[in-house]
Amino acid sequence: MSNVIVLNLWQFGAIYLLLLLVLAIMKKCKINQTKLLVIGSIRMTLQLILAGLVLTYIFKNPHPIFVLLYLTAMMAMSVHTVLSRNKGINRNFQIIVALSLILTGLFVILFFILGVVGVSFFNPQYTIPISGMIMGNAMTGVSLGLKTFHENLKTQKPKIDTLLNMGATPKSILLPFVNKSLETALLPTLNSMLGMGIISLPGMMTGQILSGTLPTTAILYQIAIMIAITSVVCLAVFCSLYLGYRTLYNAKNQMLL
Amino acid sequence: MSLFSLKNVTFKNLIHYSSLTIHENKTTFICGKSGSGKSTLLKLLNATISPEEGEILYQGKSINEYDTIALRRDVMLVAQNVYLFDTTIRNNFEEFYSYRGLLAPSEEVMNLFLNICLADFPLTNNCRDMSGGERQRIYIAICLSFHPKVLMLDEPTSALDEATAVSLLQNLKQYCNEHGITLIAITHDKTLAKSYGDEYISLDSEVSCE
Repeated sequence: MSNVIVLNLWQFGAIYLLLLLVLAIMKKCKINQTKLLVIGSIRMTLQLILAGLVLTYIFKNPHPIFVLLYLTAMMAMSVHTVLSRNKGINRNFQIIVALSLILTGLFVILFFILGVVGVSFFNPQYTIPISGMIMGNAMTGVSLGLKTFHENLKTQKPKIDTLLNMGATPKSILLPFVNKSLETALLPTLNSMLGMGIISLPGMMTGQILSGTLPTTAILYQIAIMIAITSVVCLAVFCSLYLGYRTLYNAKNQMLL
Repeated sequence: MSLFSLKNVTFKNLIHYSSLTIHENKTTFICGKSGSGKSTLLKLLNATISPEEGEILYQGKSINEYDTIALRRDVMLVAQNVYLFDTTIRNNFEEFYSYRGLLAPSEEVMNLFLNICLADFPLTNNCRDMSGGERQRIYIAICLSFHPKVLMLDEPTSALDEATAVSLLQNLKQYCNEHGITLIAITHDKTLAKSYGDEYISLDSEVSCE
């Protein structure tokens, strides 16, 4: 199980040919995102090459400070990405989103590493890749939740105004929007759980199997990480929206949308 | 007796109401050109917006001293773009009542208020399929069923033909008079305002817009 085929440059380069198909379809369908595809592919390649070099260095020279630095960069980047994708929210809401993402992410990472795997938090081989998966999914979930919340508030402005004029409290008006957005943010993760193992063999499990781990060991990690991802998405979106929506009205119950 | 009085009220440094009084248990019509601050005035009165300067008194007390939710339940505003849930009239009553933490009234009561507002459709009719004017009348009926002290209507007749507009205003005025409800309505139709209003305020002279 340990004979891993190391991809040479030509083999690796061949996979980029598939992107030409994507480009052709985008052109035919007049999807004006070819620049994004090119920049995204280049950025992904460079970022992963850099990550590979940095991780190789860290694994050869393990030190707690490297793990902390890597985690800090990961969290800062995820907060930055979420906030840059949701520019319309106020300053206090931004702070709540940032803290929710960091604290819930940290909680689930600590629970996974210390409570489930039972290794040191400063073990880079476990903490860094697991944190990456947890924070990446938390980021996508919060981003989707916030976007849904914000767009619904915009399109449902007459409903909000009508209910406010009728004497409904901002809390009773906004909470259904929060609940709906939380549901929307959770759905992709819940749906992916349904097809897992039959329709798809997820990345983490595939990676472990390719590197020689027994599939029976790999599935245990995969199940654990899926539950951790569902939990972090739920917690991060819940905290962001349940604490954040309170910044959308003042003491006079006037909307600050 | 004065119900609302405004003195030197400024909103966003754009609209200035120098002095304005609305009396209790009367039907007051507010007229004015577009942009003269008619809709803004109603929002100031139910405290969904606040002025930058000046004082608004409600029943002799500054509006800032009131709990704004309780105030809006007393002083109900029917805006121009009313929202109704895409469901039956009965369910709309139930939905709006649930937002106020109340149980919807009986069908008899619902029909009574729908009749007053010339919206005597079957309760099972879906509001999604109704015209703007019909939706507005249903919404006014729901508001009236909450027994507010003040009912403020922002252009209630704009989506109605003349005969329906006159009948609606007559019905509303009669019901409000009988039940001690102060009615404040915005309209562009000065003739209608002068015929059915006890008092008439023209914002063109009361307000300066910068």
